[in-house]
Amino acid sequence: MTVIVLERVPTSLRGELTRWMLEVQTGVFVGTLSALVRDLLWEYVCERLRNGAGALIYQTNSEQGFAIRTCGPTSRRLRDFDGLQLIQIPM
Amino acid sequence: MSGLNLRMLPKVRDSWSFLYVERCRIDQEDRAIALHDQSGTTPVPCASLNLLMLGPGTTITHAAVRSLAESGTTILWTGESGVRLYAQGLGETRSALRLLHQARLCSNPALRLNVVRRMYAVRFPEPLASDLTLRQIRGKEGIRVREAYARASRETGVTWQGRAYRRDDWRAADPVNRALSAANSCLYGICHAAILAAGYSPGLGFIHTGKLLSFVYDIADLYKADLTVPLAFQAARDNDDGLETRVRRLCRDMFKEQRLLARIVDDIDRVLDIGDLPPATELDEDAGALGALWDPDAGEIASGVNYADLPDDELDGAEP
Repeated sequence: MTVIVLERVPTSLRGELTRWMLEVQTGVFVGTLSALVRDLLWEYVCERLRNGAGALIYQTNSEQGFAIRTCGPTSRRLRDFDGLQLIQIPM
Repeated sequence: MSGLNLRMLPKVRDSWSFLYVERCRIDQEDRAIALHDQSGTTPVPCASLNLLMLGPGTTITHAAVRSLAESGTTILWTGESGVRLYAQGLGETRSALRLLHQARLCSNPALRLNVVRRMYAVRFPEPLASDLTLRQIRGKEGIRVREAYARASRETGVTWQGRAYRRDDWRAADPVNRALSAANSCLYGICHAAILAAGYSPGLGFIHTGKLLSFVYDIADLYKADLTVPLAFQAARDNDDGLETRVRRLCRDMFKEQRLLARIVDDIDRVLDIGDLPPATELDEDAGALGALWDPDAGEIASGVNYADLPDDELDGAEP
């Protein structure tokens, strides 16, 4: 399962994403994508964010069972602790 | 959450292996745990976490320790890079069943020898001949360890000049020895957390003896040759930058790949031949539940009862 969360992005980008994923709530997308499609789609999203921000969460075979990627100025920051991903709320 | 049902917590097998932090303040935040440093606040899902390693420069509040203890996260205070252990917190069971079993095996030399033989037996692919003396087994084990180092050295091309480190000067050791120390320390932490989580004592060792962590060394030795030795050589083959961090990252992947957390409690139970355990006891559902009183005839009798209030004939009846 792949989840993409977008904030402050152009409507056209959200529309584009709904071709692959379900928009469960505004800016929250869920879908089942292959690793290749997911990476290409994420690249596409990152290019078209404008001033918005986004986070990608997908299942992997890591200890946590999932991985997170972010792009754009989000209100949270991704931190890595020796391979364990946690979220920081900046000062 | 006070009065937390321990069954709500992920088992050792399902949790995240460890989190090592340094130079930050840890306190309770919105009923969870958060790390604070200059750059911000990082909440930690502590119920999912098996082990929290506190490195230098960490401060932790009383409330945070309480939350961590309630969620069964083992806390270890360690030196830089998680190497060296200073103190420990509490594990994930309130039942003393396993501890009593361990103490019984440990205090009877014949039973203890059986455990030692089982501990050695799991390290060799072929069964150990029953006529081998302990001394001979130790010799065989020495050869096995030497071969593990030689094999790892051959496979990675990292030269091996023996295990050497100076306790007073970490940087003086060669990279592979430093990688070994960092990986072993991570492994000790996981073993320590599993031992505490299952309700064993880290001090009642079988092969090792005399230290408060003897049993941790016993259990870690089951895995070293297969897990941390190859990993340390692999880490030392690449450049020296961020060696300790790289080792911990490799450790996490390797623990996951080898399903260490899923195996470790079973492995400990197996070498101690614990047999079938009763399912969760009342103590695991209610940490505040009363334990029992020992009785030479009945085994256990209820506590929290004032035996002075019982009629005299019942008191007399208890005498043989």
